[in-house]
Amino acid sequence: MLYSPTTIKECLQEWEALEKDYQQVQETHRLYRQKLEEVSKLQDSCSAYITRQKKKLKDLSASLEQCRETLSPEEVSAIEEIQDHIRERPNVFFEMESFLPKKNGLYLSLVLGNVNITLLNKQAKFAYKDEYEKFKLCLTVLLLLFSFTCRFVVTYRVVDALFNFLLVWYYCTLTIRESILISNGSRIKGWWVFHHYVSTFLSGVMLTWPDGRLYQMFRNQFLTYSLYQSFVQFLQYYYQSGCLYRLRALGERHNMDLTVEGFQSWMWRGLTFLLPFLFFGHFWQLYNGLTLFRMAQLPECKEWQVAMCGASYLVLFMGNFFTTLGVVYHKYKHNRSKAKGL
Amino acid sequence: MSLQKCLEEWEEIDREFQQLQEAHKVYRQKLGQLSSLQSACSTSIRRQKRSLSELRSSLHRCAKSSSPKEREEIREIQAQIRDRQNVFFDMEAYLPKKNGLYLNLVLGNVNVTLLSNQAKFAYKDEYEKFKLYLTIILMLGAITCRFIVIYRVTDEIFNFLLVWYYCTLTIRESILISNGSRIKGWRVSHHYVSTFLSGVMLTWPDGMMYQMFRNQFLGFSIYQSFVQFLQYYYQRGCLYRLRTLGERDQLDLTVEGFQSWMWGGLTFLLPFLFFCHFWQLYNAVTLFGSSRHEDCREWQVVTLALTFLVLFLGNFLTTLKVVHQKFQKSTEKIQKKES
Repeated sequence: MLYSPTTIKECLQEWEALEKDYQQVQETHRLYRQKLEEVSKLQDSCSAYITRQKKKLKDLSASLEQCRETLSPEEVSAIEEIQDHIRERPNVFFEMESFLPKKNGLYLSLVLGNVNITLLNKQAKFAYKDEYEKFKLCLTVLLLLFSFTCRFVVTYRVVDALFNFLLVWYYCTLTIRESILISNGSRIKGWWVFHHYVSTFLSGVMLTWPDGRLYQMFRNQFLTYSLYQSFVQFLQYYYQSGCLYRLRALGERHNMDLTVEGFQSWMWRGLTFLLPFLFFGHFWQLYNGLTLFRMAQLPECKEWQVAMCGASYLVLFMGNFFTTLGVVYHKYKHNRSKAKGL
Repeated sequence: MSLQKCLEEWEEIDREFQQLQEAHKVYRQKLGQLSSLQSACSTSIRRQKRSLSELRSSLHRCAKSSSPKEREEIREIQAQIRDRQNVFFDMEAYLPKKNGLYLNLVLGNVNVTLLSNQAKFAYKDEYEKFKLYLTIILMLGAITCRFIVIYRVTDEIFNFLLVWYYCTLTIRESILISNGSRIKGWRVSHHYVSTFLSGVMLTWPDGMMYQMFRNQFLGFSIYQSFVQFLQYYYQRGCLYRLRTLGERDQLDLTVEGFQSWMWGGLTFLLPFLFFCHFWQLYNAVTLFGSSRHEDCREWQVVTLALTFLVLFLGNFLTTLKVVHQKFQKSTEKIQKKES
């Protein structure tokens, strides 16, 4: 509207103008629904193509393996060339499928149902990943402040319960968002995803631990550990974001690579200073586990939560420590073979 | 398979792969076009909505100083504007949009709009199946905790399941609303209240107070799951019938309460519902009584009492409103017949 109508006549005129515009809107919307149909058909045909290709490649691969035994060297090299191509194809399909709608995995299916969460263009995917990392950063700062408050400012079981609820909610939300990212072509896997489920379980068990002597014995250690962990996570996300940005600009990392709570191979360039902080965090988890196991053996210990939390901390320690150790060992071997080469 | 055959097969697969790459390229292109159409549609709808609301306020101003004939015209236009708003609501159910605060916090800005009628309907259908199955599981869980296994641990697991169930319902309902479903008000918020209730139950430590309330709570949970099962089961059939008659919208959902369309055959549910509401009131009263006990030191008791009271008031008043509306309508019909 260019002006505010003040008389009935002007209002009626404005209404006429809006009616004309409305016809346009309806026409655009109709075109849109048509194009939506076309795109939907293309989606189905692309998905069908890919499924068929995958099956045929699998069958061909099996047949080639069978043939291989009865052939001359030149023929074998021809087969190996084909097998190389076949090995690369799944990567291409993974990329293609990250732009096509697909059925959700079990976890997302349970929580969201079969709404499609594929982001259909690169900017959208990148924006979503960016948002996920901001979310982690903001929540980590919040958890840091909260654990500080619980440790030094307010000492009530209620506030502790709120803190634990926040932890459970945070880790659950992370698992949901990471499932969505994986569906959109992100390559996080293994321990980095699974340890969020373990953390959710751990926080859930802490939630149900009733107030008592044993709880009070462990509480301060737990809160200080949470404080330290949030601090280290903050360091990680902050420095990893910058590092990833640089590496992506150099084309050395994939667009959908994420910041993680651990050490990965690309971090040797400039983030090595994080390693001691990380290892200290892991050993603190081991210490928590041992403290809880010792508490579980006390005569007055009647709560099942003590042993359960102890076991969870042990699992966290082993997963974190051995994954990080794997990266260090890999680097050590790499350096040695380089030195040998020289 | 001989080498020759393998090579031929590979040639064919490679040819198909080229076709696939071509199709995928066309697909990405069309996606780009679709995306521009989406923004064009969304912008023009937003513009129309803004202009319409400004026009409505101008008309309202003009109406004060106009003749009866003009006032009639104005009323007509205002009615048309209201219809227009409904049309836009339906159009927007097919366009991607920013998520509300809740979905944004949990999922981020991934688009949850389902872009075809079948997809929406399938999603709604799945939501209702989910409610049905989980209700059965919760009933079995409550029976187990009440009669078979008596440990605080199993109670905890039951409460965690409740928290998870209600959280998941709130997420799925937010997605449904984003897709054009018209559920709102108490029917949505009471799931948040139930999540809070189950969360507080979770933190209630084992003790004399807890043991006093436990059996009543589990008995109530069994009854509530049973009533919910009845509702979903019979409501689904009823909704199906009404939809084919064209009397209800495609995206109307089964709910844990009584709605106006249920008078046609589901009236038998009402006594079950009212009994459930009054059991919630009884829970609240019991807990308030417990909180005055000299041994009561847990904050959970009063908080739970208040929450059960809120649930009772919300449920009872909402259901009462539906009954009252029906009563009013029947009275009007009788009056019309007499005149």
